[in-house]
Amino acid sequence: MAQQRSDYSGPFDPGFSQSQLSRETLGKLLTAYSDYIRKVDGHWYLSVMKRCGNDVAFECDSEVWEEMAAYTIRETCRLLDIRGDDVETFLKAMQVNPWTLTYKCKIELVNKDHGFITFYDCPTLEALEREGGGRWESICNDLEVRLMEVKAHAVNPKIKSTPVKLPPREPGSDLCCRWELKLER
Amino acid sequence: MSRLLKDYSGPFDPKFSHDMLERETLLAILKENSDYLRKLDGQWYVTVMRACGNDVAFECDVRIWEKFILYELKNTTRLLNIYGDDVATVVKAMQATPWMWIHDRTFELVNSNHAIITYRNCPTQVYIEKEGSDRYKQICHVLERKLFEMTAHYFNPRIKVTALKLPPREKGSKVSCQWEYKLES
Repeated sequence: MAQQRSDYSGPFDPGFSQSQLSRETLGKLLTAYSDYIRKVDGHWYLSVMKRCGNDVAFECDSEVWEEMAAYTIRETCRLLDIRGDDVETFLKAMQVNPWTLTYKCKIELVNKDHGFITFYDCPTLEALEREGGGRWESICNDLEVRLMEVKAHAVNPKIKSTPVKLPPREPGSDLCCRWELKLER
Repeated sequence: MSRLLKDYSGPFDPKFSHDMLERETLLAILKENSDYLRKLDGQWYVTVMRACGNDVAFECDVRIWEKFILYELKNTTRLLNIYGDDVATVVKAMQATPWMWIHDRTFELVNSNHAIITYRNCPTQVYIEKEGSDRYKQICHVLERKLFEMTAHYFNPRIKVTALKLPPREKGSKVSCQWEYKLES
């Protein structure tokens, strides 16, 4: 096996590929890519909002994510061999999906059919709070509520997603939102 | 150190993190996330195009990528320790961006101040060809030219970027576009 690179300093290599990089460097790139995904999505929203207003931007955002949310969970399950149709399966997919590395969250499994996800210091909510226009109402309390359901239903349409806590957050609190996932049998 | 995981089959682990995955799996996720980023960006473009027309979508696309390309270059060069001000440095950075997994490209370095980059079967071009529109005129002739120039000028504003071949491609040809990077001393 060829020696793995920790970076790409040194001369040009016509055959360079990220597959030559060490595990540690791949981990750092993965975190960067997770951030790229969040940034590209956010930049699109803001660009459309500036050009056409928040209603159009929100409408486009909803359309994009109603398509992408289920795809995200399905692709994650395929890639990491995560199989099943219970809450445990869904929570595993939520731990690994491309967004995970950007968000600080706690995932608790009560039993195979019942669990909680809690998000702390969400960078999207922080940006919306700084902006001060109250957009968290549509993004977090409307769209995210629908999307958590779409994502859970990609594993099993019978999983029920309930927001236990939504923005606005209390002053000084790092808790942004909390969700209960339950499958009634 | 405990054994690294090939995938995330098996039971839920409340302490799961990407650090527990083996190198090949991290590489597979990185590749998938690169495609995910492309898909998300494309989904936004097409959604805005449907809602507001192609001119608005293109305008937003330009605004986003003018910002994002610089952020991406800053990250890539920092993470992979790629520094310099010649064409070889530009080419090294381009080899290492998230897009390396999506594009079939060859980098010919004639010398450290002269290179030819050729893209084949570019997925964006293939999509636009299938669509049957002439959107390649904006995307490839205007935006991509600008982004290639911005990439070169990030390292050295004196590097000249020339398009040797641009869409539409000749029937049966795999070549989507070809660029020359040159730094005159």
